[in-house]
Formats: sequence, C-alpha cells, structure tokens
Amino acid sequence: MKVSYNELQGLCRKAFLGMGFADGDASDAADMVAWMQLHALDGLEALNRGLDYLLAEQHEEERAPILLYADDDLAVLDGQGYSVLGSSSLALELGFAKARARGLAVIKIRRCHNRQLIMGYLARIAGRGMNVTAFWRNGQRPLVEQAVGFRAGGSVPEIRVYAVNQVPEENESNDGVTLVFANHVELLPAMHSAYDYDLLACHEESALLASRERAMLDGISIDDAVWEKLKHLAARMLVESNDASRSGAGPAAGDND
Amino acid sequence: MMERISPREESLRLRAPARVMNLERLGSLHPSRLSFSRSLIRQMARQRWQISAARFDLDDSGHGTVIYRLQTPCGRYHGVIFSQPLDDDARTDRVIAEAWDVTFGVVEGEVDDALLEQMAANVPLQEAGRQHPRLLVLSRANRSLRNFDAFTRALAEGRQPDPAWLTKAGYLYRTTAVYGNGKFGIADFGRLRDNPDFQRPFSAQMLAVYLLRHFSIDQVEHIAHRRAPATAVGLATPVKRYLGIGNSTGLGMAPFLINHPQLIERWVQSREQALAQIRAQAPDEAQRDRLLTLLDRAGCHLEQTVTANAEQGRRNAETVAELPEVRAWLEQVPLDGDLWQELTEWSHRALSLATQELINTLLLELYPAIVEPFENRMGVDECLELTPEMPLVRLKQLIETRYDWALAFDFDDPDNRYWFWYRSIEKEEPRLGVRGQEPGADRELKLAIAPRVADTHRAVGNYLGRHPRAAVVDFLIEHPRYKDIVRRIQAMSETPFGEIRANLWAREMKPIHLLRTKLSFFGASRFDPKSDRWVRITLFQGAPLVEELNAEPDDLRDFDDWGFPLEPALATAPDSQEKARQPAATGVAP
Repeated sequence: MKVSYNELQGLCRKAFLGMGFADGDASDAADMVAWMQLHALDGLEALNRGLDYLLAEQHEEERAPILLYADDDLAVLDGQGYSVLGSSSLALELGFAKARARGLAVIKIRRCHNRQLIMGYLARIAGRGMNVTAFWRNGQRPLVEQAVGFRAGGSVPEIRVYAVNQVPEENESNDGVTLVFANHVELLPAMHSAYDYDLLACHEESALLASRERAMLDGISIDDAVWEKLKHLAARMLVESNDASRSGAGPAAGDND
Repeated sequence: MMERISPREESLRLRAPARVMNLERLGSLHPSRLSFSRSLIRQMARQRWQISAARFDLDDSGHGTVIYRLQTPCGRYHGVIFSQPLDDDARTDRVIAEAWDVTFGVVEGEVDDALLEQMAANVPLQEAGRQHPRLLVLSRANRSLRNFDAFTRALAEGRQPDPAWLTKAGYLYRTTAVYGNGKFGIADFGRLRDNPDFQRPFSAQMLAVYLLRHFSIDQVEHIAHRRAPATAVGLATPVKRYLGIGNSTGLGMAPFLINHPQLIERWVQSREQALAQIRAQAPDEAQRDRLLTLLDRAGCHLEQTVTANAEQGRRNAETVAELPEVRAWLEQVPLDGDLWQELTEWSHRALSLATQELINTLLLELYPAIVEPFENRMGVDECLELTPEMPLVRLKQLIETRYDWALAFDFDDPDNRYWFWYRSIEKEEPRLGVRGQEPGADRELKLAIAPRVADTHRAVGNYLGRHPRAAVVDFLIEHPRYKDIVRRIQAMSETPFGEIRANLWAREMKPIHLLRTKLSFFGASRFDPKSDRWVRITLFQGAPLVEELNAEPDDLRDFDDWGFPLEPALATAPDSQEKARQPAATGVAP
C-alpha cells in the first residue's frame, strides 16, 4: 500500500513510543526510518529485520551508548548491542560537537545493530553544515563494506556497498560503525581501490533525490504486514475509553440541531 | 501614509513575550487580517482565481456528486464533494463518527474517471479509507438540520430565510475535521512547498471549507428548486454572504499547538511585529474615523454572537460594555504621533483581555500595507536541533532566563499536577484525565512543557555540581531521556513567541484557550464553547461569494473588508426575491 511521509513518520513515532522509547528517541528513530523509506532505501524492511531485537530491548531503562574513551577529537562508545535507533544519535551529536570545536572528529560506536538506519540521522547532521561519513562492515565471507558520505548541507548521501575479496583474516567482530565528521573536508565513497572488490550497490545523490521526488508525488510504498505490526505497537499507547472519558471530549449525544 | 520603522525600533516596540504568550490572552484573540481565511480570499481576488462547477449530479434530496473546478494562474484543482443520506442517529460531531452528510476532498490536477472512482470508494470512509496522494485536503461535514430544513422550506415557498437563523448558527454545514499534510494517504504538505497557490499554512484546508460553503448554497437552492420549481427562489446575496461554515472542534487541536512551537512562533511574532510597526505610525483623522467605524461593527457583531456558554457570554458582554469607553477615549485624545501606542498602553491598564486584543485586531485592519507582507511569513520548515557543544552551564542559564515562567510553578502542589493528556483508543482522540483517578497516566502525552523544563533544570543543576565544565552532549549521554526537551529549550530560546506560557497539568488550566488560539489564526468567528474542552465556531461568514470572486473585483480593499459580519436586514417585498437559479448542467464539462 501507499502512505504519505507524514503518516509513516507519525506511525513510526507512536510505535517506538509503544516500544518504550523516550520521546526524543522515538522522534529520532521515526525520522530515521521514514527518511530511508522516502529515499527508497528500505528503512521499514531494515526496521522489520531488527524488530525482534528492539522488542527484546524494550524493557531496558536507558539505551544510550556508554563512553569508553574520549579525547578532544576522538571518542569510542559501547552501543551495548542495542539498535542505533535507541540513543545512538547522541554519539553522532558528540562527533558533531567535537568537529565543531576541532575541525575533524572520529567516533567509533562498538556493538550496535540496525546500522543502516543511522543514515537518517546523518542527514540531519549534514543539514547542519557538517561533512559526515559512516563506514561499517558486515559478515566475514564475503566481507561486505558499506560507506555512506554526506556533503555539508546536503540532504542525500553517496552510498556504496561492495564485497571485498582480498582482505587479511581478521578477528574483529563486524558490529560497529566508524564515523568521520569534518567542517571543511568531504569524505565521499569513491571506488578507486587497487584491491579486488565487487560493487553490490551504488546510490548516487541524484538518484536518491529522484526517489524522494517520486515518493512525494505518488506516496511511499510500504509492506502492509509491517504497517500492521507498527499499528499494533502504536496502539500500546492508547488508553481504553469509558463513558466518563468520552463525555469530556465533545457532545454526548447526536448532533441533530 | 505609512512609515517603515527600523528593525531596532520595531524590536523595542514589541510587546513582552510574557504578556503575549499568556494562555488566557491567547484565548482572547479574534480573527484578523492575518487569519488564513482572510489571506486566502485576498490571494484569490488578487490573482483572479476562478471557480466553476465541472459536475453537478444531485438528486431531488441533494444527494450525489458535485465537482468544482478551481483555476489559478499557476494550476488547476478540483473540489470533489459526495453528499449522501445519513440516519439522524448517526449524525455526531465527534471525531469517533463513522458517517457524515457530506464528505469531500480537494485534488491537485484533473479528476478522471479512475480517480473519481477511487475517491468515491474512499473519501466517504474518511479515516477508514486509503486516500489518493493527489488529494491535498480531506474533510467531512454534517448538516445543521434546523437551518437546512428552514432554508429549503423558505426558498421552496418563494421566501427568503430569516437571517436571524444564521445569527443563531451561521451555517448550513458544520465540519468536524479538515485534514491536510499526509493524513490517511493524502499529499504531504511538503509537496506544496514550491506551489505558490497553497504553500501558506492551512491555505488548502481553508479553500476546502470555502468550496463547501459554496456547495451548501448551491445545494439548498437545488433542493428548493426540485421541490417546488414553480415557486422556488434563490438565496438573496446578503443572506448568502452571511452564510458561513461551522466547525466543531475539541482537544485534538491542543497537541498541534504544543508540538509545533516554531510555527506558532511565526504566527504570533508576525502579528506582534505588524502591531509594533503600526503603533509607530502617526494616524490621521480618516484613520481614527475608520477605527471608530470598525469598533462599532465589531461591537454589534459581538452583541449578535449567540452562545449558551456563560463565561463566553460574560466576556462578550464585557467587551461590548467597554467599547463606548474606547470610543470616548479615541474621540477625546489629541491626534498625535503616538496615539496608537497610547491607546494600546491605556487599554492594557483599563480594559479586559478580549477588548485589548480586539483593539489590536482592528489596528491591523487600518494598515494593509504593513500587515500583508507578513502573509508570506506565516510558514516555516520546522526543525528543532540540538546544539550539543553548548556549555551545560549556558543551558542552565537559558532555562533560568527564557523559561523562568516554567520554573515558577510548584509541581509539588497536587493542583499543579492535576491533569494528564492522553490519546483514547477511540480514533486516537486526545483527552484529559485526572491524575491518580483515571487510567492512562502511564501512557501520558508529553504536552505539558513546564514540568519537563523544571525537571530538566533540576537534573542539569545536579550534573553541573559534578561536572561544572560539561557540554550539553555530555549530560545527554548520561541522561538521554532529556534529549527531546533540551533540543526544544535550545531551539526555542532563540525566539520569544513560540512557547505558550502555561502549565497544562494545572487544575485551573482551560484547554478552550488553546483551541481559540489556533482557531483565531484560521479566521474563526462566533466562538461558542460548549464546555472547557470543545467549541463550535463559524468560518467565512461574511466572506465574498464565488460569483463575486469570478467577477474579478476592481476594489480589492472593499472585497477584503468582511470581518465581524452583521446580520443583514432584508427587504421583504415579493419583487425583491431573486429568481431561482437553474442547477448547473449535469455531466463533466469538457
């Protein structure tokens, strides 16, 4: 079915509230999912894949990353295995603050999932005049790398996903994301490597802008089953009705005046 | 003559936000030149918009489909209206209704058979349907049975209906929701960002209501004509002019006001800036006379405003009683350069809130050249963003200086924690519950800003005790649940007029003031509260008619002068009756 951007954002926000997110996190998470869906990047599918994890996390009091190390232009945080939809936006805000002060900052978030969805918040950071690039790896064989780069002031990124065929064996787990923030330096994905790789996906700024235009004109296609799941989660925040609550909100009887 | 003042002088002349953003004062606002219904009419006249019937398929009872075509210099739109029979016991103003007398939408572009079929299957279902992305607005309305029956009977018998009926209830139809911005699948407001016809906030919704008003006239004349072709007459122009569209609205408007502080800031700031400019103008005798004329009209309008609500009746009567004093003041004070400033200051000392704001509203009428540029500043791309690098001590100072009003409440007092806001399972209708007595406080909507600010101030103070040199982001990483409210505090501290200064938990808080704030910017008149939580109003009463618009008026100032409408006096001689109009041709125009 087709939905509007505002409708998608609104339902996602209510669903995240229903999953126990704080107001700010619910709004940010909804924006992140809706932003991806608006640009035909399957945000809802990414959310759906991580939904069981999110539901398992829902009783956690606070889902913010823990600061492990920080200096003036570098910070490492432990995402504690939570979805980036939780409070990972604060790690990005930390990177933004450091880059504002120092010109360039690097942030590493260890142990997090739903990393695709971080793109929506990167768009907000870029909108505030900051060049920002995210890099992460999935899997081991084949090793898949993803790079997402936004120009300062840009509303859409350049995205590349590729399989790397010539890498040394590594023991590092691939559940983190590295972010580079820079006031005056663009770091965009570009495939000029001498190493052997297979390009799996390439999203250029112009194509993403065209997707957004289409979605604003025709609506956003979504999976009905996922939509129903979100509605069900959103309904957790609704309060049962009774005669007393009903009577306070409007006319009590028919309006045949 | 009009003299522009410098931004510096304008800022010095602005009223204090503490005064302007007081909830009771906001709940005393009147519709003004800056209201969206007024702006739309001016835009339509200025740009020579044309409205015609493209299809008029109604049976003898007025049921069927009508399509109005709107042509602007930039584009073409259609208002598609479905009228259907409705059992009396299904007619309710509540959002939880499931059927209505009339359902309708405004479409961008053409309406072909496929789109009409899709709309016919979904628009009558309203929230339960999946609407087309080319719909800009989705709405519904119910008949005012008394007026509808009286009007059709009178016209069928060859008489004009008594305008006094419209003084009691100024409409034949009452809307219960006018949806825009992507609701139920319709177009996002973002789609209109580059559309000069409807890029102002709520302008598409106002058009939908205006088209419904035109339909109500067409429909009642059509029914009368079908009922008695030999004797029926059409509505006299003064009665048509006096006919508006009703609206019934409840707590659903409150979340919008709180959740869109940057938009509210634009609306209020625009009004205040225009008033600051106006207070700097040196009036002439003609302008003083004009203000006196407008005061008389507004006084009569308020005298003619019928409400069963004792408090609203008292407020209206108080204003009417104070107006002779205002007239006397204006007639006696010398005509010097500071007259408007003195009038404003005197009214603040001597008059009720509603009268103070009525005077401001009428001052806006005197200076179209000052006010109208603000029409295009009423919208904003809302975006509340963190400033993570801000020193935390600076955030604490911001709270203490810009949100001092929020820190003034004692939240340990049960009366200051009395209400909580929630969404009901019934169509997500926003409601109020009593904390500790009614279920739902665990699912509270975070609409009360003041207690959240006070809580943030306390948490920030504690954190600063341990980390005096911390930045905002350091505090938030340790306390992420404050992210939302900190973002708001930082963003809204830059602007004085966005936050409504009230405790929305307080037992004495009146939600009706929130409703009136928004409704006044829509252009609502005849404010008729039915309780502290829901209200009936009228839109477009007194507004120019479609045929007057289509005639491309020369005098745009006169065309725009329709605020505070008065009950028309009708000649009753039979020869004054207008001949019944033949209904528009059936079928889609080529």
